[in-house]
Parts: sequence; structure tokens; C-alpha cells
Amino acid sequence: MKILMVTPYPPARDGIAAYAAQAVRSLRRDGHQVTVLSPGPSAAHHHLDLVGPRGALALAKHIRAGRYDRVIVQFHPDFFYPVPNRMRDRLAVATGLLAAFRVASRVEVIVHEIDYRFGRPTAPDGAAARLMWRSVDRIAVHTEAERSRFAKAFGVPATKIALVEHGSDFARNTHFDRESARASFGVPLDAFTFLSIGFVQYHKGFDRAVRAFSGLGARGARLDIVGSARVDDPGNLAYSNSLDALAAATDGVFRHRGFVSDEQFDRWLVASDVVVLPYRSIWSSGVLERAALYDRPVIATAVGGLQEQAARAGRAQDITLVVDDAELRAAMWARAGGRSGATARASWRVGSLADDADLRARVQSEVVRRAVGARGTRLGGAVAAGTVDPDTAAAASRASAPVRRVANLELPAPTSGRSSAAFVKRLVRRLTAWELEPVVGEINALRAATVEALESVAAARGRGAAERDDPAGRVPPS
Amino acid sequence: MSATTAAGPGPLQRHGKIGLVPVRYGAGLVGGAEIVLAEMARGLQQRGWDVEILTTCALDHYTWRNELPAGARDEDGLTVRRFPVVVDDIPEHGTLEHSIMSGAKVPIQAQQRWMNSGMRTPELYHHIVDHAEDYRALIFSPYPSWVTFACSQISPSRSVLWTCLHDEPYAYLDLFSPVFTGVAGLLFQTAPEHELAHRIIDPLAPHAEVGCGVGVPQDYDPDGFRARHGIDGPFLLYAGRREGGKGWEELLSNFAGALGRSDLEFSLVTMGRGPVNPPAAVAGRVVDLGFLDDAERDNAFAAASAYIQPSRYEAFSRTIMEAWLANTPVIANGACDVVAWHCERSGAGLTYDDGFEFEACLSFLAEAPDAAAALAAPGRGYVLSNYTWDGVLDRVESALAGWTRAPQVAVAP
Repeated sequence: MKILMVTPYPPARDGIAAYAAQAVRSLRRDGHQVTVLSPGPSAAHHHLDLVGPRGALALAKHIRAGRYDRVIVQFHPDFFYPVPNRMRDRLAVATGLLAAFRVASRVEVIVHEIDYRFGRPTAPDGAAARLMWRSVDRIAVHTEAERSRFAKAFGVPATKIALVEHGSDFARNTHFDRESARASFGVPLDAFTFLSIGFVQYHKGFDRAVRAFSGLGARGARLDIVGSARVDDPGNLAYSNSLDALAAATDGVFRHRGFVSDEQFDRWLVASDVVVLPYRSIWSSGVLERAALYDRPVIATAVGGLQEQAARAGRAQDITLVVDDAELRAAMWARAGGRSGATARASWRVGSLADDADLRARVQSEVVRRAVGARGTRLGGAVAAGTVDPDTAAAASRASAPVRRVANLELPAPTSGRSSAAFVKRLVRRLTAWELEPVVGEINALRAATVEALESVAAARGRGAAERDDPAGRVPPS
Repeated sequence: MSATTAAGPGPLQRHGKIGLVPVRYGAGLVGGAEIVLAEMARGLQQRGWDVEILTTCALDHYTWRNELPAGARDEDGLTVRRFPVVVDDIPEHGTLEHSIMSGAKVPIQAQQRWMNSGMRTPELYHHIVDHAEDYRALIFSPYPSWVTFACSQISPSRSVLWTCLHDEPYAYLDLFSPVFTGVAGLLFQTAPEHELAHRIIDPLAPHAEVGCGVGVPQDYDPDGFRARHGIDGPFLLYAGRREGGKGWEELLSNFAGALGRSDLEFSLVTMGRGPVNPPAAVAGRVVDLGFLDDAERDNAFAAASAYIQPSRYEAFSRTIMEAWLANTPVIANGACDVVAWHCERSGAGLTYDDGFEFEACLSFLAEAPDAAAALAAPGRGYVLSNYTWDGVLDRVESALAGWTRAPQVAVAP
């Protein structure tokens, strides 16, 4: 069968690209002739700018010329719709895609993300989108929840929407065993190793894993965080920097930045003891499926489609779902054979505090010092590395206090004493989370970046003053 | 009624009636301004003043439902005049409230619509219109209530504000400028509140720092408290209204975060009013005791490992004084200048600026209980030196004597 796969494709660093690569491999192994068309330059056979009506029409032209028996589209709105877009943009794109799909013998679309708002039958763009989706022969999603929402939003018969397991096409990418994988990364054989791997983004929540891990380093465990920012936008970079600082300030946490090939990705899985997915939100996780390939236990937050994926895995995979940071910490400590506890923390240096004439000032100063280390800003990393002395750190911490006092934005918990109200709240949360959570993430990233900036300026001033005081230009010892 | 005392530079003539105008009044209320005006009323009456309470029929500041009968009656020896509340459900109120709280520039016309689209008490207003001359002074609190805003302007030369000024968006509204500049006097509770008023308003009406009185319990029964409520293990205490403006949600979030990151054995005990709604992870560690009488409240303060003051909007904070009187350390939100000022001056409290500092404070309590007790030790002396009712009432009387005129007394020929 002659198949066209429309998708981002390696070496693009993209989860959909990695997913598509596995699917292409699987199809080709089944004897199909697979041609790949990607929206940007890649290892695909063709690439086309697919954005806007021109992109859709170019796709139609390509499909007509190729005489494919089957067209498979890995769908994400950003591949086809301009950002931001207006109603007329959506109308034009949906019409163009409708034309492209109609010229194909058979079209299958794997939906990775979609905006459910734009399927209203009374709006011109919604009506066009409905026509476009109805022209598709098979729509695939990864969870049951997505299936029902999609059917409702776009008026597509549920029978036309298939549920595909995220890992159904997954194959092993590495031949390393645990021992050799660890040796290749310099991970000691006897270290109990947690792994958080993937693009570093706020919604992935790797910082939660670090905080939950805090204290386990003293017990010989380690947490390896592998991956870097997917897109170099300021919000992502700020989050990545804060994660780096938090990791630097936390004993036993190791950051591995840079490009990770598919083989290295799997090799890390093999090297690990437990995979940690501390996501704040996610549609579905390929990492969870890949961990299953290597029988690696997973600790994951019960968000998005993870709960459903875990339920589908059943007893075939060792998955611990957690709902919040407390459970995440408990699960990690339980896996590492310990109990989360204060015993692992440095005790207060309070031998003679009770007799101290300036007790409050000393304790308050220690409170600030400890928080700097735990907070995960660059300042904490600098203190840990000895490049900033504690007094300068305390001054820098005071500089950021007005911003830190404004707590991170959190969506209110969808709870209520009345079950009906709780149900409505949960429903509203599900319907709006995709739109609200990125906004919350951006605001929190902005807050974090502001804290970083204020502390950097204050620390630089502190260092400058110290250097002026010291003719040799030495930074005061930590 | 009249009396004379030697409070202030000369003998004080306690001539004339003083009306205290809390928005709500009654047993079991949770609310600093209301409690203080009630205690002040009793204190002034005991000192020989003719005192009256002017208030509403409502007890709940969310619903403003008229729960008590309108009219005048004697309540525990005080004359209390109650007036019904009217609440118009105007949708614009919420929109304007949101704009104000988000710091948006709201035109004065819109500010006025906002103020008048919530609870109102037209009958109280008209009572003062009709009878203002019967009073030597009318003491209002807090400043951003319809009652204070509307009624303090009826007879400004008799109006005195127990301001309860916080660094909050309301304080910057042009709407309240006449309230702060044109009345007979302003009573501030702390130096930071006083300084804040100077930063925001110019020129201020006559004003004085008088502090705030706190009752001193005779004794405490922490063990009995634990036994009666089945509380084992160390606990943190929060007392007051459980609502966003008081930092309750933020406290829950910080508490859950701290327990998530560290193995701390504390539970969080709360008393007061409002929904608890703890996060699932700490639901079993949050204990709501509801409303407690004064004696049991004091016992709770004595039994706690620390009192937590999560509010960033406090003009005084009576609860931290109650904690210090019970020799209990205070852990407070550093965003509140007033509470941070108390902690620094007394040396008996720590402040936090985010969840990590909050966690470090709890870690200190857990790991160094002797040092925590030593930290709390100077708190009781601080309260007794500065905030007993005797001293506060002396200063209030002195201010009233200077700002208001005693009624003319007919002299027999």
C-alpha cells in the first residue's frame, strides 16, 4: 500500500515527530511504501509549509499527484493554522484541508491536540471544520475522554473515532542493558536512580520531582533530569534556568541538557530504576509507553490522559499514580526504600540558639538561607557552588521578596462540600484547563523570571561591593 | 452621663454620648474591627461615658441577611440600635470589585457605583441624619464599608475613624479621600498604619496612634484543650475568618507544600468562620474547631506550637497578641508591614515571604522546640507593655477630648 504520512519528523525535536517515526517504521516493516511529508525541513521525503489555506491547497496538490492509497496525518493545530488566528483563517484552512482530504482515497488523522471551541455548527468556521472532519475516514485519539469530547465538539460519529494506544507502534531503540547503559552515562551501578526525561517545560513539572526527591541524595539515590527546553522562548528558558538552579542546589540531582537521540532516550530508560512523570498537565505520555517497553516502573501524576493510560496498562506495567506533591514525595521515598523525613535534612544549627541575645535575627536569617537553597533559583545554585556568600544571598532574597510574596498562580481546586457542585467544577475544569493552564504557566514563568532578575541584580551589587572592599577582588567565602 | 478622670494633661470631662458604629455587633462574631469597637464600647462605658452601639441587623458579612430585629434594646448593659440592611444584587458590583482589586484605574463615578451596589443601611444613615447632634462622637470602623463611607460624612465634626487601614487597592480609591481628610479624627493602631496613611493621603485629618487593646487571660489550660478536642501531637493554629483576603487559601497551600516537601508532624488547627476546603493531601491534617468561646480560644493559643498569621492585610492583628500572651511564637506573612513590625519589635515572631521560607519556619519549630520557646518568650511582655485596654483607652479618651466638643451643659443661674 502506498501511504503518505504528514507529520513533523526527526531530526526535529518533537514528541509527535518521535511518535510518527515509530509509526512509519512499523508500517514499513509491514511492507507498506511510506512517504513522509513534514511541515519543515527534516528527514522526511518532502516538506511543505502547511500553514494557512495555501498550505492546505499545496497538500491537496501533493496528494493528488502522489496517488496514495492512504494518507495519515499527525494533527496538531499549529501545523495548519496561523497563530494567532481569526475566524476567517480557520474557515479558509478548514476548507483547504477539506479539499485536500477529498482528493485522497483514504484519510486517517491522528489527533495529538485540538481546540474544541472551534467546532460550533452555527459558526462558519465551525461548520467548515465539521465538514472537514466528517470527510476523514478514521480519526484516532489516545484516550477515551478525547474520543467523546471530539465526537461532541465536531459532530463526528464516535464509531469513526478510534482509540489507539500511544505505544502501539513503539519498538526498542537501544541494545544496551542496564549495566552498560549506566556505564555509558557514568551512573554508579548501586545508585537507586530516578529518571525524568523529555522536553523541559513548566507543564512537565520536573521541578516537582526535584523537590520530592530532596533529601534522598543523602541516602545514595539520584535523580537524573534529561532534556532541554523545546522552544527557546523566554518563558521556557526562565523555567529551564530555574530548574537548573534547583537541581544544582539539591544533593543527588543531575541535569543532562542538550539533544537526546531516540537511542539515548531509551538508554536512559534502561539505566533508570524508576521513571518519574511529575506532569502538571499532559494529553498523553509517550514516555510512559516507552518505559513499559523496558519494564521500568513509573511514578506519574494523575493528570490528562495518564490515568487512562495507566488503567489500560493494568497489571502489565508498574505504575504509581499520585495526585499531588505530598503523594509524589511519598511514592519516590517509598521506591528508594526510605521514608520521607526530616532526618535527612541538615539540622538547625541551634546548639546555643536558646541563649542567644539576638535569637530572632539569627533564626530569621537561617530561615532565609534555607529557603534560598530550596527555592530553585540561580541564587540557590550560586550559594551551593560557593560563588555567592550567604549574606549577599540573603540581601538578594530580600530584593525578590515583594514578588515572591505573590504566590504562584494555581487554578483553584475543583472541590466542594456538595457533590453536584464538585461535579460541575470538575467539568468546568476539564473544559477550560487546556486554555487556562498555559496562561497560568506563562504567568508563573514571568514571576520566576522576575525573581531571578531581581536576585541577579542584587547579588551582582553585593559582589561589586565586596570586591570594592577587598582590593584583591576576592569574593567573600561562603 | 458625665465623669472626670486625670487621663491626659488635664482632667477629662466625660460629657456627651459616644456612638460606636460597627457594621455588625453580637456574640460570636469573627472580625477584628467589630470586636474592637465592642470592647471599646464596654471600656468607655465602664469609665463613665454614655455609650451607644449603632449597627445593623446582620451578622454574616457575606449574605448580609437581617438576622436580628431592628430597633433599640439593652444588650448586656449597652444600648444597641439595630437597622436593617438592604442588599441590591447588582451584577456590576462584582465587575467593579474585580477591577478595583486588580489595581485598574476606576473612575470616581464607577467607584461610587461600586460602593453603592453592595450592602447599604439607609435607616441607619437617616438615624444619624436625624440624631447626629445627640452624639459627641461617632466612631466608625472599618474605613471601606458603606456604613463608614456614607455615615461618617453626615456630621464630619463628630465622626472619628478607627481606620483599620491596610495597604490594599481600596485604600487608594479617591472615593475614601473625604473619609480620611475631612473627619474629626483618625485613630491608628500602629506606626506602620500611620505611615501608610501619610503615604496615601494628604493632608490627613487630626490623628493619633493609640494602639489596640487586648484582653489578658487569667490562666490557660492547654492540656484540657487537647483532651476536649482530641488533638494529639504538635499543631499550628489559625484563628479568624477563613477567606482569601485573610490569606487562608495561601496558608493551606503553603502548609500542603511544606508537608509535601518535608516530613513535618504538624497538623493545622483552625477556629473561626468560613469554609475550610483543604487540599486533599492534607485534608486529614486540618482540624476545624468552629467558633470557640474566649476561654477556649485562649487555651488553643497556649496549646499550639505556633500561631500562623497568613494575612497580608492587618492593621493591628489581635490574634498574634493573643498568641504572645500565651507564650506561643508567631509565624507571619512578611508581606504585612504591621505584623512584620510587631515581630521585629517584640523579637517573638518569624516572617516568611514564600512557601519555602514558611517551610523553613516550620522546620525550626519542629527541630528546635527549645529555641522556639525562647523565641516566643519576649512576646508576652511586649503585649503587656503596649496593648492593654487601660493604656489604649487612656489614649482614645485623650484623642476624643481634643477632637470633639462636649455638649453645652446648662448652668443653673
